[in-house]
Amino acid sequence: MSEDLAFWLSYITNGKHLTWYASFQFTIFAAVFGGTLAVVFGLIGATLKNSRFLPLRLIGTVYSSIVRGVPDVLFFLFFPLAFEQAVEWFIASQVCTPDMLAAQSAAWPPCKEANWFLGTPEYLILASVSLGLVYGAFATNVIHGALRSVPKGQLEAARAYGMSASQLLWRVHIRQMWVYALPGLSNVWMLIIKATSLLSLLQIADIVLWADRLGAPNFLPAVGLVHEDWRWRYYLVLFVFYILVTLLSEKVFEAIMRRAGRGILSEVRH
Amino acid sequence: MKKLILAATAILALGSAAQAQETVRIATEGAYAPWNFLDDTGAPAGFEIDLGNAICAQAGITCEFIINDWDSIIPNLLAGNYDVIMAGMSITDERLETIDFTQNYFPPDPSKFAAAAGSGIDAAALEGKRIGVQGGTIQAAYAEENLGATNTVVSFGTADQAMADLAAGNLDTILADGAYLEPVVTASGGAMEFVGEDVMIGNGVGAGIRKDEAELKATFDDALTALKKDGTVDKLIAQWFEGRGPYFAE
Repeated sequence: MSEDLAFWLSYITNGKHLTWYASFQFTIFAAVFGGTLAVVFGLIGATLKNSRFLPLRLIGTVYSSIVRGVPDVLFFLFFPLAFEQAVEWFIASQVCTPDMLAAQSAAWPPCKEANWFLGTPEYLILASVSLGLVYGAFATNVIHGALRSVPKGQLEAARAYGMSASQLLWRVHIRQMWVYALPGLSNVWMLIIKATSLLSLLQIADIVLWADRLGAPNFLPAVGLVHEDWRWRYYLVLFVFYILVTLLSEKVFEAIMRRAGRGILSEVRH
Repeated sequence: MKKLILAATAILALGSAAQAQETVRIATEGAYAPWNFLDDTGAPAGFEIDLGNAICAQAGITCEFIINDWDSIIPNLLAGNYDVIMAGMSITDERLETIDFTQNYFPPDPSKFAAAAGSGIDAAALEGKRIGVQGGTIQAAYAEENLGATNTVVSFGTADQAMADLAAGNLDTILADGAYLEPVVTASGGAMEFVGEDVMIGNGVGAGIRKDEAELKATFDDALTALKKDGTVDKLIAQWFEGRGPYFAE
């Protein structure tokens, strides 16, 4: 029994498994960075949507309605690749000489010198930006609605005190908006957490990819422990991880909600 | 602003050029034991990793292995994400249209049908069967062309997944490299067996290199010639593929 335990302990702490545990950092980074960007894009989008200037209002509306309608997986694949090719196209227009163009055998990039190699850090940042863009569109709607929910009397009172437009925006309007936005934003955050499971689509060796690799059946003793298809066991661990993150997020949002609600009319605090 | 962009561009371009000179990046799948796989420490290991390191030592260059999915291994080579493919890839006419290969470091090897023991399947007259292959392989192309009309060809991301589905009874048979299947069938302890005739496809396994990298290809070819001569390639084949070879001894 204790031998068994020692065996399994050493199995789940071998280098392969340690790499898997380390890969959780990618998921956490993408969620935190993507989430931050989503709030930033949401604030920008909502400001645009609220703008009195028609073209800006249109940009905000188009962003929130189009990007919300595109499946996140699709946008996740589309954005990094399109961005990479756009950068390569731009570099090519600056550095490629006719000789280089003629020497290139592949269809893309135009010349080898224009190739932009994307490793894990680059893909991770692009993935987070994709998450930020997609869920920023949802956050736009949430924040837009929240801005409208701030009682008019509060804004009028601020004006009556002689606050300038920007003081009113930052000290009263956005400050009070959070109470109305947080429930919606916590939903958006949950969606972002779930979408981090897509990272492996961009060749990032994330928790899902490693679960796949570790769970894949192995038939050869030379490779390691011989086992059948164990992917479901590894996926189960991921289930548990995501559930724990959800529970933790709920606690954190409750705390933020309490803080954001300080000094604000009690009727909006449930 | 424009200056900034230009500077960034220059740094990017310089960076990638410098990288290319310093280390040769070799891509492998990492899921095709004993050719290439990830060992218990999570590092690439296998016949091709040993051979690749031997080639680089012989040629006096620094090499680095990176893991890339089989599906995208040729497109990413063309995109310049790495310089060489060593992933049990057979030299075929179709592939030669897009990339170059070094001389082979594993001779043409028969592909084999494997099935559950006692299935009584007749590999010479397959009809209405589910045949598993790894997508994008010579066996997948062969199965689609010759067996696809009367059977269902199911393609998988990795060979191990095809094998797992065969073991689970979802497939009637799978078609794969003999050198991959032999140790698996042996390790199955009689649960799997080979059926029917072997099929000869491909011209052996070589290292894939972009067509415009003639210099790198020559470096690899020279090193391979030397390693075949001094018996290193045969030694590694004997080490990783039990009872195989010697193929290149003079």
